[in-house]
Amino acid sequence: MKRLLRYFAVAIALLTTLAPVYWMMTISFKREVDQFALPPRWFSFSPTLEHYVDAFVARSFGQYLLSSLIVAVCSTVGALVLGTLAAYSLARFRLPRNFDRKLGLWILSTRMFPAIVTAVPLFLIMRDLSLVNTRLSLIIIYTAFNLPFVVWMMRGFFAEVPRDLEEAAMVDGDSRLGALGRIVLPLVAPGLAATAVFCLIVSWNEFLFALVLTQTDDAMTLPVGIAGRVTQYGIKWGVMSAAAVVAMVPILAFALSVQRYLVRGLSLGAVKG
Amino acid sequence: MSIAVFNLTKSFDSSTVVDHLSLEIADGEFVVLLGPSGCGKTTTLRMIAGLEQATSGDILIAGTRVNDLPPQRRDVAMVFQSYALYPHMTVAGNIGYPLRVRGLAADQIQKQVRETAALLEIDRLLQRKPRELSGGERQRVALARAIVRHPRAFLMDEPLSNLDAKLRLQMRGELKHLQQKLQTTTVYVTHDQAEAMTLGHRVAVMNKGKLQQFDTPLEIYSRPANRFVAEFVGSPSMNFLEGSIDVTNHRFHNDQISVVLSGVEIEKFSRPDAEKRVVLGIRPEHVKIATSQQDGWYPAGVYVTELMGSETFVILQLGAARIVARVPGDFRADLEDRVWIDFDMTKAHWFDVSGRRL
Repeated sequence: MKRLLRYFAVAIALLTTLAPVYWMMTISFKREVDQFALPPRWFSFSPTLEHYVDAFVARSFGQYLLSSLIVAVCSTVGALVLGTLAAYSLARFRLPRNFDRKLGLWILSTRMFPAIVTAVPLFLIMRDLSLVNTRLSLIIIYTAFNLPFVVWMMRGFFAEVPRDLEEAAMVDGDSRLGALGRIVLPLVAPGLAATAVFCLIVSWNEFLFALVLTQTDDAMTLPVGIAGRVTQYGIKWGVMSAAAVVAMVPILAFALSVQRYLVRGLSLGAVKG
Repeated sequence: MSIAVFNLTKSFDSSTVVDHLSLEIADGEFVVLLGPSGCGKTTTLRMIAGLEQATSGDILIAGTRVNDLPPQRRDVAMVFQSYALYPHMTVAGNIGYPLRVRGLAADQIQKQVRETAALLEIDRLLQRKPRELSGGERQRVALARAIVRHPRAFLMDEPLSNLDAKLRLQMRGELKHLQQKLQTTTVYVTHDQAEAMTLGHRVAVMNKGKLQQFDTPLEIYSRPANRFVAEFVGSPSMNFLEGSIDVTNHRFHNDQISVVLSGVEIEKFSRPDAEKRVVLGIRPEHVKIATSQQDGWYPAGVYVTELMGSETFVILQLGAARIVARVPGDFRADLEDRVWIDFDMTKAHWFDVSGRRL
């Protein structure tokens, strides 16, 4: 009985999360007459790829996808490199007057205000740097936004690694950076993978700054591109759904490929190894 | 290579952990830093390794000042209490690591790893990961990693303290054998006086950051420089009886005992500036016990007996004081039994009330 209840709860959860995804996927394969048929055609409709062709051949969604990929990957890598080094320093070095702790809080505090607050100043800065309508502007902003998150996640993971290990490595003849790369990073790899997934998701889904900063087909990312199909002449449900389905794929593929690490990374620190 | 520290001092904020420590360690010597926890012995070792920055003073390796060199350029090897094996590498990877970071060729590394593993009898474990090893095996891997690159010195931080008692004795012997074979200068930190006595050519006893005595184990045991050393070295610990010197009658006496002083002691205590309140120290093996009354011996009650097999420790109640005697294993006595004890005064140690040897 208890088991039955549990399965029921799982079923409800799955239904609520997957139903919209299912609806979106079916819309992307339905002809427009089927999309608005009443009663709704849940299963029986004649599938078509016309919206995919429309989105990626006739329109510039291929371009948006490429921009999204470049921006997400570059900002994730940037945030991981900078954030990991910062987190390692904060985890290992004590500064006078508890300055290291204050520094950590200060880094976190940059995430405490709503993003919209910085939208206008950042737009002005990017305009002055002639970076409006470039992917670089988004890469810089997403890197900055992901940094505090990376620093705080990685600091926790680094704190779990016994100091002895890197001290042993340094006495053994390695430099501190060498010890970080050869000894410490391999040990926090699961944490690194989990952090990377989060960064990637944030960058991939980010809408506000992409909307403010990119209006040309060359620089626009998928979320902005998709939203742009809501026009005063009508809403292109089919094209939007097709693009959304494609937008899901890379993040899903990456998450699945690091799933092994993800579970370990998220529970790292909870259990002493 | 020789190691020397001069006036080495380490302070954290307001507390001084190592206080003007000076030691000279000869090439090939095995020196043990001995002391209770918090005495600064590990900090001293870490300063020699370069893992801790000295507040003041000099550290010399092979005659060259190394204070400003990072650990990787001091060419010393360290064995940690936790072994600090790299969990994601195999045993071969662990042992070969110091060679890899030095950029040796792969076949050269493999050859040296094999030789070292054979020396420590862990060659069949080379493909295992540290988590698949027993405590003793991990210890050997840690040693192999230190030995493989023929460093200028070994630094060992309580390397045996995580092993069970039997294995600890075995590894202690192997460690000593290995050091004698390799003739590499070794600085070894421990709080276990038995390890210090058996392993070290010389032992440096430390307390509260200060060096108490630096000498051979035998000298430390037979002529402790102060009451701290006398009490810390030796198991069971030395007995101490505080009392006064009666110069006119040439006696030392307190509430429980009154002993005649020897000629040397009379001379020592008769000087006009000599202390009148002193502490008599007697090792348990220099306390004699008889079950029948002996002329001039002191009656005492048996508080408890501890059988060790080959010998027995008898803890005696002598007035308000407790005295430990080490007697042969066949000695039998019951609780509260009345016995008579005497001290071998030729083996007596004398300290002033502040603990300084007289």
